[in-house]
Amino acid sequence: MRIKFKLDGEVVEVDAKHTDTLLKILKDKLGVGAVHFGCGEGTCGACIVLVNGRPRYSCLTLAGYVDGKEVTTVAGLAHDGELSEIQKAFLENDAAQCGYCTPGMILIAKALLDRNPSPSDEEIFDALAGNLCRCTGYVPIINAIKSLSKKR
Amino acid sequence: MSQVTSGYYAPASLRDAISLKKRLRERALIVAGGTAAVQLISKMIAEPEVIISLEKVPLDYVKVQGNVVEIGATTPISRLLEKKDLPNALREAAENIHGLALKDMATVGGNIFTPAPAGDIATALLSLDATLVLRGTRGMRAVPFSKFYRGPLEYNIKADEVLTAIKIRRAPGLSSFLKQTPLRYSGPTIASASVGLDLDKDKKARRVMVAIGGLTTHPYRVKRVERFLTGKRLTSELIEEAAKQLVDDNVDVIEDALASSWYRRVIAQVLFKKILNNFIR
Ligand SMILES: Cc1cc2nc3c(=O)[nH]c(=O)nc-3n(C[C@@H](O)[C@@H](O)[C@H](O)COP(=O)(O)OP(=O)(O)OC[C@H]3O[C@@H](n4cnc5c(N)ncnc54)[C@H](O)[C@@H]3O)c2cc1C
Ligand code: FES
Ligand code: FES
Repeated sequence: MRIKFKLDGEVVEVDAKHTDTLLKILKDKLGVGAVHFGCGEGTCGACIVLVNGRPRYSCLTLAGYVDGKEVTTVAGLAHDGELSEIQKAFLENDAAQCGYCTPGMILIAKALLDRNPSPSDEEIFDALAGNLCRCTGYVPIINAIKSLSKKR
Repeated sequence: MSQVTSGYYAPASLRDAISLKKRLRERALIVAGGTAAVQLISKMIAEPEVIISLEKVPLDYVKVQGNVVEIGATTPISRLLEKKDLPNALREAAENIHGLALKDMATVGGNIFTPAPAGDIATALLSLDATLVLRGTRGMRAVPFSKFYRGPLEYNIKADEVLTAIKIRRAPGLSSFLKQTPLRYSGPTIASASVGLDLDKDKKARRVMVAIGGLTTHPYRVKRVERFLTGKRLTSELIEEAAKQLVDDNVDVIEDALASSWYRRVIAQVLFKKILNNFIR
């Protein structure tokens, strides 16, 4: 089947099987670098993208699902070479080391802050529970999110 | 629709979804949130010719009218948390499905069909004496949730039926869900317990619903313990007594790398006691 969707603002069209995952299409067909393959079963969060603004594991999403929808990767948050606030906060707080988890972490952080501009620690921990990081020990990531939290 | 070829279908109406399911039966796989179904495909456990995605079927809603709560089958867990007036057990089960992406994807209906370690929402719904609404080409059918599981991965649902809604009538005044996971914020459920309770004016148990999750493929109601508690005044001694009978020796409790069946039995008792002791405190 042929699917058509917006990827970081640009319309793309691609052939997919009905059983292909979105992750497979993004990596193998479209060569997207800003999405990572980790576990393929929803436990690591490296493959997270936003679909119509809501976070989804692309490894647990079938390609057909995004037909006619908007997919945002972490690369889509930057505009005209200028990083978004969240990306800057990750840089300033040393919240990325090897960077494998970073696309998913930043997108979850965005999804959380869009919904809840001043999350409590508990709410941040809960939101990030589906994203594994093997480098930072999480504290810098949590600090990056807190630095953007309103009120605080 | 004449010939249905292999492919991805996202029907916009329930009627179309049901008629597709009737025509294709086992050749089709229904996908709601996809968190379990897509793994069946990527791990090559299932090779469906056709995907019937429920993404466009308007079953994403929560309605509270009088003493009836109705939840559409494709309502994501995160939607439950936007509602303030849902029974406590349901809210607690939803809150403890951790991670924003999972909360947004996983649906209430999908949770009912997903075996342990999933089934947290199902466990809570059992203790709230929920009813499932199933719709097929020949019409609608309501099944008490306690009669839905027939065996491991065997459900009281026909090949042409779709689960459309879950209804809770007269939710108990008190209800609570607790689970044990290996990590504070994530990891599979080792054991869970959920209890719904109505007390009469002398503080005696008028209606008790006890559900246990994580020990077997699907959660189940413990009628024996419910009968034992009904009509009695809850004291910590009585709760202790009830906990001893909670998991029957005949129950074949899951044993895996995460926990022994002995540990799961003990944890289920601990959670059950915690819930009831919190109620009488
Ligand atoms: C990383 C991770 C962590 C998890 N943590 C938890 C947890 O803490 N607690 C927990 O309980 N679960 C957990 N789960 C399990 C999770 O899959 C379920 O909770 C989820 O609710 C399943 O819903 P879904 O909409 O994704 O179902 P799907 O994957 O879309 O479907 C599951 C099954 O149900 C069938 N189905 C779905 N909807 C209908 C319907 N309306 N009518 C008929 N058939 C239907 C499908 O055909 C399929 O066989 C976790 C899963 C992952 C990947
Ligand atoms: S690759 Fe999707 S969650 Fe790990
Ligand atoms: S920075 Fe390496 S996994 Fe998180």
